Amino acid sequence: MPKSSSLRRWLAAAVAGGALLAGAVQAQAKPPECIAPAKPGGGYDLTCRLAANGLQEAKLIDEPMLVTYMPGGIGAVAYNHVTGVRNDDPNLIVAASTGAALNLALKKFGAKQSVDDVRWLGALGVDYGAVVVRNDAPWQNLDELMQALKKNPSSVVIGAGGTVGSQDWMKAALMAKSANIDPRKLRYVSFEGGGEALAALLGEHIQVFTGDLAELKPQLDSGEVRILAALAEERQAGPYADIPTAKEQGYDVEWPIWRGYYMGPKVSDEAYQAWVERLRELSQTESFAKLREGRGLFPMSKFGDDFDQYVKKQVASFSQLAKEVGLTQ
Amino acid sequence: MFDFLIQGFGVALTPLNLGLAFLGALLGTLFGALPGIGPINGIAILMPLAYTLGLPAESSLILLAGIYTGSEYGGRMSSILLNVPGDAGAVMTTLDGHPLAKKGLAGPALGLSAVSSFIGATVAILGLTLFAPLLAIVAVKFGPAEFFALMIFAFASMSAMMGKDPLKTLIGAVLGVLISTVGVDSGTGVLRFTFDMPELYDGIDFVVMIIGLFAVSEILLMLEHAFRHDQDGEMAPIGRVMVKMSEVLYCKWAILRSSVIGFVIGVLPGTGASVASAVAYTTEKRISDHDNSFGTGNMRGLAAPEAANNASAAGSFVPMLTLGIPGSGTTAILLGALMLYNINPGPMMFREQPMVVGGLIASLYIGNVMLLLLNLPLAGVFARVLQVPRWLLVPSVAILAFVGVYQLHSDLMAIYLMLAIGVFGYLLRKFGFSLAPVVLGFVLGGLMEENLRRALSISGGDLAILWQSGLSIGLWIAAAAVAFIPLFAGRLKAKFLPARSA
Amino acid sequence: MRYAADRILSLLLLGLAAFIAVQAWHLEVPFSYDPVGPKAFPLLLAGLLALLAVVLFVRPGPSGEWPSGALLLRLLVVMGLLVVYAALFIEAGYLLITALVSVAIAWLFGASPLKALVGGVLLALGSYLLFTYALGISLPTGSWIEPLLGAN
Repeated sequence: MPKSSSLRRWLAAAVAGGALLAGAVQAQAKPPECIAPAKPGGGYDLTCRLAANGLQEAKLIDEPMLVTYMPGGIGAVAYNHVTGVRNDDPNLIVAASTGAALNLALKKFGAKQSVDDVRWLGALGVDYGAVVVRNDAPWQNLDELMQALKKNPSSVVIGAGGTVGSQDWMKAALMAKSANIDPRKLRYVSFEGGGEALAALLGEHIQVFTGDLAELKPQLDSGEVRILAALAEERQAGPYADIPTAKEQGYDVEWPIWRGYYMGPKVSDEAYQAWVERLRELSQTESFAKLREGRGLFPMSKFGDDFDQYVKKQVASFSQLAKEVGLTQ
Repeated sequence: MFDFLIQGFGVALTPLNLGLAFLGALLGTLFGALPGIGPINGIAILMPLAYTLGLPAESSLILLAGIYTGSEYGGRMSSILLNVPGDAGAVMTTLDGHPLAKKGLAGPALGLSAVSSFIGATVAILGLTLFAPLLAIVAVKFGPAEFFALMIFAFASMSAMMGKDPLKTLIGAVLGVLISTVGVDSGTGVLRFTFDMPELYDGIDFVVMIIGLFAVSEILLMLEHAFRHDQDGEMAPIGRVMVKMSEVLYCKWAILRSSVIGFVIGVLPGTGASVASAVAYTTEKRISDHDNSFGTGNMRGLAAPEAANNASAAGSFVPMLTLGIPGSGTTAILLGALMLYNINPGPMMFREQPMVVGGLIASLYIGNVMLLLLNLPLAGVFARVLQVPRWLLVPSVAILAFVGVYQLHSDLMAIYLMLAIGVFGYLLRKFGFSLAPVVLGFVLGGLMEENLRRALSISGGDLAILWQSGLSIGLWIAAAAVAFIPLFAGRLKAKFLPARSA
Repeated sequence: MRYAADRILSLLLLGLAAFIAVQAWHLEVPFSYDPVGPKAFPLLLAGLLALLAVVLFVRPGPSGEWPSGALLLRLLVVMGLLVVYAALFIEAGYLLITALVSVAIAWLFGASPLKALVGGVLLALGSYLLFTYALGISLPTGSWIEPLLGAN
């Protein structure tokens, strides 16, 4: 989608009688653009704005970055768009997350689409899954909850913001699997987004919520909830220092939710490298660290080939997991 | 305990913030008036702008909240004048608003709706100020079972809208519910009725549905009218511009009742202006439609949904400011805007960010007065602006429909879908259907199914969960009451007042 | 003939109900936590729709007035124009295609050719300025302009 400002330039040029200055308008004529494969306001929107605001503040781009919304098919519409229509646009990046990797693994972007079809660019931040209960819940730590589940998997009502096969569900399923419980025996309720599930937890409609660590900060501060475990490699700093990981409590589950970007498959190596460098540079500035923290994200810096490998490995392991928990054959 | 409000007025009365509140009110009215743009798109468009302009958090929130409340005012304009709702909350406004305009009462209708909107918003803002902490406690008590009972209540209320063709009302509602089942099933993740088209995975978007159903079908109907040279779809003459005091007084109870209904429904998470105005309209029809004139241009039928949709807009700030949970799609975006400013919405916000919360609430008071001042005298002007010849109006409607959908989807499939729904809407209208039940079925049906299934997965299949809490029992009784009392009332009337009912 | 429209509608609705029922029946569900599952609701609705359709067949209302001849042709032309508008919205660019479609529609709605031309072009230009400058919406430029620009 060519953007309006190039037309503005064109009109201005035409009016000035210089319609033939075509050659002078270089690659930078088009402003950089980020597609958020969702409606305004969601996580992908925030991911795009993280890049848009960060890059502009750090003066790494000349023109403000456009954020375009392309909802549909939990990201599939945007994925097909970039692998098909705009597969070589050097000014276009698309927001992605662990959820996109999961959907690729579950073949939800279409049977033909694979993780190899785009150029994975890098990630600028990460959040971690968390197992949350109300502050008056009977379980003081993860082990007590897991023992209760082992005794009777359907005795505890678990809720989260996604359907079977979604990220939130995967967290619950992986927790169950780590204690040799069949995820299908759980009592799981899916809500429309984490906010609704959190409200259901506070309203005592569900007992356990498998959410994300940083989004729980307000309720953690007010003491309304207790986080039994963070699904991270290691403990996080600051207000989260007291929250143990699942791993240190004997349940080997990690669920990082990275926030990153990809580009079209036919983008030239130079353009791709330029973006990799831009993002790498951005991640090292101080103003960006503040911006990232404001969005409730922990630091994560993986760029270029490094990130590409990471995503591909993740998709492979998700495919394996999906088979194990009975989602795909 | 109202320190935050005093502090808030200090914030809201600075020249910059006053100016922004005015700008928000004006832009909001414009966004609301344009079919399909609506508050969600308006805020989504301006949120990044406010942020890049470097406005402080409270200022940008004041601007965005002004757009939100302003668009609830503006939504009525095209509903009344063109029979095309400007946004979801204004669907019910068409039912009596447009017939009034056809009678030559467009001016008074616009004036009355501005006054109703003002009163509705005022009641709700007062409610927000006084009861915010209290109401938040009730709102979280609404679990899936209570929501399911609420949906049953909403559908039962709809039976009041049956009108002259109950059969087609029912069929329309069923079709609406069916359309809501398209997409990923929220319980199991199974794809339903998507026919391998990724564009349908997320279900049919509300904006696409509304624009197609109303705007596109309207284009086709206008062509028919133009061809037959009748005056039907034509913009009615505006006539006298101001609403009379007696007309406002005639509606006073309708307005007050609907304000309270709108506020309460606005506070409930997940239900917004569309549900609020529908419940208010149907309740009012039950209570005060003595001569069966709702739907033919009854002033109360216009005042009720207008008071309710504005009240619900203010009401939806309650869960947002107290719990960090959006009460409507639009507040969900405002929450996103807060996060841009490193403010985590939630129970701590009243304590940690009194400037932002107080400033926002104070600006709602101010913005509301501005909107009334803007909308009352200018009703005539706005109406004249919309009174353009058909040959210019139709391409304008087409342009707005296309840009509205394209802006939100950047995808041609969404536009084709909108056109297909438009043909569907045209056929429905030709078959004598009213579109409101279709839209309500679409909005409520999905919520009803989801919450029923959530409730049953919580209970492990035990149906008893559906009537276990006092709240849900109350809602079931209320649903039974609205469905059955009119039957008896009708019979009693026929028995004792044979002369009048004949 | 008086009731023909509703009878035809009733048959269409019956067909729709059957189609939905078959589609819903064939949904493959890996597993479901709630006892209702994704099939029950659509099946219930299909049943309800079928029932209502039968009632409609038995007690149809009057048909109303349906377009035919020249009017039907015009309706099809307007729909065709809208489809063309959609198809070329990105390729041709907002300004060009909006102007063309607006002129055509204005003319179809009875404006004189001159009025239609001026009105349509002004509408396209005015709306473009409003959307891009006042509202900050970005609209497609049109791919044919790209080579002229030489950008990428």
